Formats: sequence, structure tokens, C-alpha cells
Amino acid sequence: MATDVVMPQMGESIAEGTIVRWIKKVGDKVDRDEPLFEISTDKVDAEIPSPAAGVVSEIRVKEGETVPVNSVVAVIGPASAGATAATASAGKASGEATAAPARTQAEPPATPAAPAAKPVETPKPSPQADGSPAAAAARPAPEPPSPPPAPKAAPAQPARTASASTEELIRQRSSPLVRKIAKEHNVDISQLQGTGIAGRVTKDDILGYLGQEGRERQGGREGEQQRPIARPSLVPSAPAFKPGEFDRVEKMSPMRKRIAEHMIQSRRTSAHVHSVFEVNFSRVAQARERHKAEFERAGTKLTYLSFIVKAAIDALRAVPVVNASVDGDTIVYHKEINVGIAVALDWGLIVPVIKHADEKNLLGLSRAIADLANRARAKQLKPEDVQGGTFTITNPGVFGALFGMPIINQPQVAIVGVGNVEKRPVVIEDAIAIRPMAYLSIGYDHRIIDGAVADEFMSHVKKTLETWDPNVV
Amino acid sequence: MTRDYDVIVIGAGTGGYVAAIRAAQLGLKTAVVEKQKALGGTCLLWGCIPTKALLEHAHALKIVQHAKEWGVSIPSTGSGQAAGAVGIDMNQVHTRKDRIVNGLTKGVEFLFKKNKIDWIKGTARLTGNGGVDVFEGEKQMLRARKEIIVATGSAPRSVPGIEIDRKRIITSDEAIHLREVPQSLAILGSGAVGVEFASIFRRFGSDVTILELLPRLVPVEDDAVSAELEKSFRKQGITSHTGAKATGARATADGVDLDVQLADGSTKTLHTDYLLVATGRGPVTTGLNAEGVGLQMEKGYIKVDAQYRTNVQGISAIGDVITLGGLSSQGHPQLAHVSSAEGIVAAERIAGQEARPLNYDHVPGCTYCDPEIGSVGLTEREANARGYDVRIGTFPFGVLGRAKMAGETDGFVKIVSEKKYDELLGVHMIGMRSTELVAEATVALRLEATVEELIRTIHAHPTMAEAVGEAAHASHGGAIHL
Repeated sequence: MATDVVMPQMGESIAEGTIVRWIKKVGDKVDRDEPLFEISTDKVDAEIPSPAAGVVSEIRVKEGETVPVNSVVAVIGPASAGATAATASAGKASGEATAAPARTQAEPPATPAAPAAKPVETPKPSPQADGSPAAAAARPAPEPPSPPPAPKAAPAQPARTASASTEELIRQRSSPLVRKIAKEHNVDISQLQGTGIAGRVTKDDILGYLGQEGRERQGGREGEQQRPIARPSLVPSAPAFKPGEFDRVEKMSPMRKRIAEHMIQSRRTSAHVHSVFEVNFSRVAQARERHKAEFERAGTKLTYLSFIVKAAIDALRAVPVVNASVDGDTIVYHKEINVGIAVALDWGLIVPVIKHADEKNLLGLSRAIADLANRARAKQLKPEDVQGGTFTITNPGVFGALFGMPIINQPQVAIVGVGNVEKRPVVIEDAIAIRPMAYLSIGYDHRIIDGAVADEFMSHVKKTLETWDPNVV
Repeated sequence: MTRDYDVIVIGAGTGGYVAAIRAAQLGLKTAVVEKQKALGGTCLLWGCIPTKALLEHAHALKIVQHAKEWGVSIPSTGSGQAAGAVGIDMNQVHTRKDRIVNGLTKGVEFLFKKNKIDWIKGTARLTGNGGVDVFEGEKQMLRARKEIIVATGSAPRSVPGIEIDRKRIITSDEAIHLREVPQSLAILGSGAVGVEFASIFRRFGSDVTILELLPRLVPVEDDAVSAELEKSFRKQGITSHTGAKATGARATADGVDLDVQLADGSTKTLHTDYLLVATGRGPVTTGLNAEGVGLQMEKGYIKVDAQYRTNVQGISAIGDVITLGGLSSQGHPQLAHVSSAEGIVAAERIAGQEARPLNYDHVPGCTYCDPEIGSVGLTEREANARGYDVRIGTFPFGVLGRAKMAGETDGFVKIVSEKKYDELLGVHMIGMRSTELVAEATVALRLEATVEELIRTIHAHPTMAEAVGEAAHASHGGAIHL
């Protein structure tokens, strides 16, 4: 039997997800748990494994499209069904010219005489298709359907078509009647789930959708609440921008949009203040030299970052208001110390969280950092991996920065930036010495953390690092 | 010894044999149980194929009868016989018809061999848990590992008060083999079977009288089609009594006395050579032990769901023997192509493929009377009943060059649509080639076309199909050639 592949629920508060990339195309064979597609949600980007073995018989959601959780995004047919006629609408629509890789002819045909032309038929609409909040969220998003992302190497192209053209609407599988009804009711067909052959939107689909919308309208305020969360606009009143002839216009990836939203939101929310401390890493360097091999035998690397995280945890215990959040006119002091580590990715940035970091020793922290960074780069993070952080450390030094002035990761109130650790001449007891030095900066929310408190916190960090016992890790 | 199969199909009609081939194509080991001497069921042996063969003979005769008009000269046979007195040789008619039927049933046999489907000859009896006993000579025991598909079909049935004796009071099964052209023939019922035999025997030379209980001929068709057929039949000399009830029939040595109550309440007795009872077909489940294995029945039909599953696990049913309950608004159509479509859906579902339910509003109907009828979708009456804001477009065949050339100018194409979205709801036609033209309309409905799409579709000239495009134009305010 065919298996529906749905947009997974990637965490409780997540209502929708964006298909970033289809790893498998229509007609591809897929094993159970083999990566099938990549999604981007409010929290994480993740590779989603196939729920069943078989052949991808249908892809219902194009790359770049956002759908509510539990929407059927693809269908895995039995291996024998031969997904031939159900053409990959997604493959075609994506900017990649390499649509579906040709199905390997060497495969032994599982069914001897199945006529090749038989289209794989799609299942009936899922039972939750009416009334449920999930279905209600299926209404078109306020934004126009995303045009396919331009290939990276593409020449500059003027992006004049912001909304779906008629051609795109026709390409969306539907029928003359459906298009007529859609026009009448101003419905974006590409937002509908088609139940016809190969995902075709049928008369029943659109009438069902309109009926549902009608019910919601009558439902008044209740219906309003079921609408998907409106995204805060990135720039409320940005001056109109007109791309020049030679400009390349590219749509933001979902992750990029999220970063943009979060940064702006943070800047609007917190009263950012920064201060910078210089830290002598001599003793940490000694400790690191002494225990490096030991850590390597244990399967991980002992980095400066591990020490800094450890030092920050101690300081957070000492200065709890740095490990807090603002909730209206109250201050929430977090019992847990969950340290987020910003990980730079080729395609953006993500902040996975070391949970209960205060319960880990240096080895545990090193392992946790390595694990989160690896999984972030492999898109293997789970939503819970990026949730619940109470404090964040970012490391611009790896790119050579002396120090950074980081923006707070909301709803936290402080973030530490680590500068490049390098040997510098320093004055020690009136002598000039060469020491491994680094600037640590802190961005903090002046609403609840005053300068003295922030500096107290940073002094604590500095002291821990500069007085580290090289024999103890 | 019990023989195991994945799928056992009971009945080799157009439902059963198609289901078997589809199942075999999908890799299932399949057997078909059939009690007749040949494969193909009603359609091939007594239904569609032989009747349409007779109709082609009737058409050939029609051409020859009008030889003078066509400029065809028929040499006299020596005794000075004129062309106007051409006749039909029933022996030759049956020889040719049987040759066609044989060829087609052999074709099905060939398809069985090609797909390695076993034909088990005999009568099937369900024994439960996938078991099927077959009786003919020695009892054979079969077992279906996956599914049994019951496709036992239907047989003609009468109405109360009329007893079929198969000699003078006959059904289509006997009419198809009639070796003589009767002087007179009364036909009870004006569905497809009734009007087709009326056309055949009227052309062959019989006096034909049709009795229909309902107020019009071909009652399932659009009212306009019924009216056109009645008009055409009248021209051809066929007597139609609608709203007439047969209250009794007595077979005599050389004919039938039929008591009729006419629409105006008067009664009379008709004397004809034969009475053809064409009042419908009932399900065939004799010897099947359907109740024995617990199949849910409704008025003798096997109750199934939209995927053709019965209430008993492992038993499906398709074709004339089933009822869908409320799933089909019109009742379940007893048509060969419907059975085949159901057989394919059932076989694919059993093979593990996704099975999409059929849309019974999109089943084309073809009636091969003269003039023939093709229709699909809602009639005007049905569309109104469903609350549509209905729009009608009609175009007569008589205007078309193609129809004039053929000398077949009766009939029209009528398009039923609705105004709000310009949705095509139904297409009804009567006249030459209507049974072929309906294919275009069926695709249009299937693809959810608007009338505008039909207008913009280029129709080749000169064809009968031009009438479809013109009827679409007419829907939007004006046909070009009218």
C-alpha cells in the first residue's frame, strides 16, 4: 500500500514547515529511514527520513513551499507500482535543471507485466481534511507562493514577477473548472492539496476548501484565531527598493528569513549594551596542552571554547540574573543552565543548546559541543536541540575577529562573544611578556542587567580562565 | 487436492475477465471460474456484441433498401425482382454474427493464456475462508490466498404477471438467436435492450409495438432525447405506447395475447408473434452460496463499498451483481464498461495499489437503436433537481454536411451546463455516431472542462463532432451555423 509522507510536527509550538529540498525525486527508490527531504521550520532545518520503503510515487509540495504540519507532502508507493506517469511537479518547478534522475533500468521489475503507463494514483484526502485546526491552517498563507530559487550560478535576472503568473497557476495541476472557480473566489490553487491523479486539484477539492473557508468566516473570531501565526514583517516601513538591471535577486531561504526576523526582533526588544574583557589564556593553554591527548583518546577535542563554556557556567551560577528572561514586568530566573552555542553554517547560522550544561564536566561539554556542531552541519538537529537555551556563546574569533558585538538570542538576556585567541605582548609586573590572549565580549540587556552586574559576570569568567589549574580538567 | 491462487474470479464476463487480466498483469496468480462454454459473459455471448452485430446487418439492409437513392444498382436475380423488395437472410446474419462472437471469445481465451490465467470450467460455490468449490464433473477445490472477486453478472428478468416461456414470451437471450423475422413483435420495456431490438426487427420487416410503463421512451435519457427517438420511431413505423402497463400475457401455438392498459386508461389485447420482455436484468447468484458465507445482500444484489469490498473479508464483487447502496445516486448501472472499470479498480486494490473510486456521474451510456443515443453526465432534469442554474445548448445534426452525406439527419447534441462557473454537467446526443461522439464528452467531464473549453476545442470538418462544438457555442449564445 502507498504510504503518505507528512510534514512532521517538529515541536509543540510549530504549526508549519517549509520544504527546502527534495533529496529523492518521483520515481526514486527509497528505503525506510533514508533521508527523503529537507525541511525548515521555525526552529530547525532537518532532514526527514522516509517513513516507509518503496518508490516515491508523488511529490505534492514543491521546494520552497510552506505547509501546515501533518499535510501530506509526498506519497511512497509500493516498490512494484512504478512511479512512472506521476511526473515530478516539484522536480520541474525547482530551479534545478537536473529534475528527476533517470530511474535505473537495471532494477529488476518487481511486477512482470504492469503496464508502464499506468499512473500511480493518489490516496483519498486525509481524514483530518475538514474542520481540524491543522486543516484550517491550510488556507493560503498571506504571502504569494515562493517562486523557485534561482540557481546559484544563474546570471542576473530581473525579478519582476512577484506573484504567481497565470502560467504557474495552470502548471499547478487543476482543471479548467477549478481555475474558473479559483478566479471567481480569488483562491491561489497552488495552496490547495489536490486529491486527483498526480495531485491534481479537482472540483471537489476546491469546493471543499471554499466550504471550509465559508464555515470559518461564519465562525468569526474563532476562525480568526485558527489562522496561521502572522509573521512579523521584517522591515515595517522600509523605503521602496528597486533592483537595478544587473542586480541578482534571490529569495531568502527560510533560515535566512528566520535569522532576519530574530535579529530585528531582538534589537527591538532588548536594550543592548556591550562590554569587552581581555583574558589571558596561558593557564588554559597549559591545561589544554596537557590533556589534549587524553581527550583525543576519549574521542573528542579539547578546545578553548570548552573552557570558556565551563567558566561561563560558573559565572552564571554566581550571577543568576544573566541566566534569566524578561516576561512583561517580571524577571524569570532560570533554574536550568542551558547554554546555546552558535554554529556557523555555509547556509546560515543556528544555535543548538547544551541542556543542563552545569551538570557536565569539561569532557562532557566538549563532547556536547562537538556533537551539536556536527549535527547542525549535517542537518540532523531535532527541534528540542535548539529550544530551551538560557544563555548563548558565540565565537567570532574562529574567523579572526578580535571581538564581536553580538545580538542577544531572545528571550535570553546575555550573550558572550569569543574573540580570536592569539599570542600578544602583554605587560606582566612591568615586564613585557608574550601570552595567548583573547577578548571576550558580552552583549547584555540593560533592562535587567546593569553595567556593574555584567562586568561582575565577566570578571568571574575572566578569573576562572586566568586561574585555571593546568592539572585539572 | 486444493489448488491455491492469489485471486479467484467468479464469472468471465467483461467485469470478471478484465479484473483477472489486470490482476495477472500486476503479478497475481489468477483463476477464473466460468460455467458457460465460452468466455466473455453476457456482453460477448448474448449482449453487446451480438446485438450490435445484428444492428449492423439492419444498417446494411437500410442502405440496400435505399439503393436507388444511393445510385447503387442491384442486378435482378432472374425472376425480375426489383431492388425495392430486398430482404434479409437470417441464416447468413447468424452465421456472420456467430463468427464475430466466436472470434472475440477466442480472443479472451488467448488473453488468458498470455497472462497465465487458469480458466476453471464449472459452477462456483463459495465455501468460506477463501475457498471456492467448482462443480462440473468432478468437484474441484480452489483457495484464494488474497481475494475472491464475484463477477457473476445478471440475467433478464420479467415483471409480475408476465411469465417467460422462452418460446413466444422471450427475453433478449432468445431474441438474439431468433431464426425468423417475426411478422409482429411486442416489446415490453423501452430501455436500451427494448429499443435496440425494436430497431433491428423493424428494419428486418416486423411490425413492432413498444410498451413502456413510464411516460417516455428510454426513460434514463434526457427528455429531449426521448422525444426525438419517439418521433423517429414513429417515422419508421414503430408503434410506441408510453405510460402503458402489460397486465397479462398468454402464449398460444403461434403467438402471444398481451393484455395492455394504455395511458388513457383503456385496455386492449394485442396479438403478436412474439413478446420480448425487456424490463430489466436481475443479479445472478444461483449456487454461489452467497448467504452461506455471510455476504450482505440487498434485493438479491451483493452489497459492496466504493472499493468493491463485500462485508466478508477476502470477498469482493463487481459488475451487474452488485449494489453500492447509497454510493451511486442513480442505482448501479449494469453496463459492460462499468463492470470492466470496477474490475480494474478491484484488481489494483488487491495488488496493493491505491484504488480511486469511480465517479458514477461520468459513466457514458450508449444505446444502439436507430438513431443511436450517446449520453454522459446529468440530464437537464437531473441538473435542475440538483439545484444548478442550468444552461442548455443544442445543435441539430441535420445542419451538418457530414450528416446530410450519410442521409442521417435525425437527432442533435444537447449540452447541459450551469451558469455560475460554466461547468459542463452533461452531454446528450441522438443521431448517427452518437455512441462514438460521447467519448469526447466523457473526457471533457472527466477533466472538469468548462463549456468555454469545448468552444475553444477545434472540431474537425466535416464530421458529426462539429455538432458538439456548435452545441457548446449555442450554450454561450449562438451556434455559428444556425
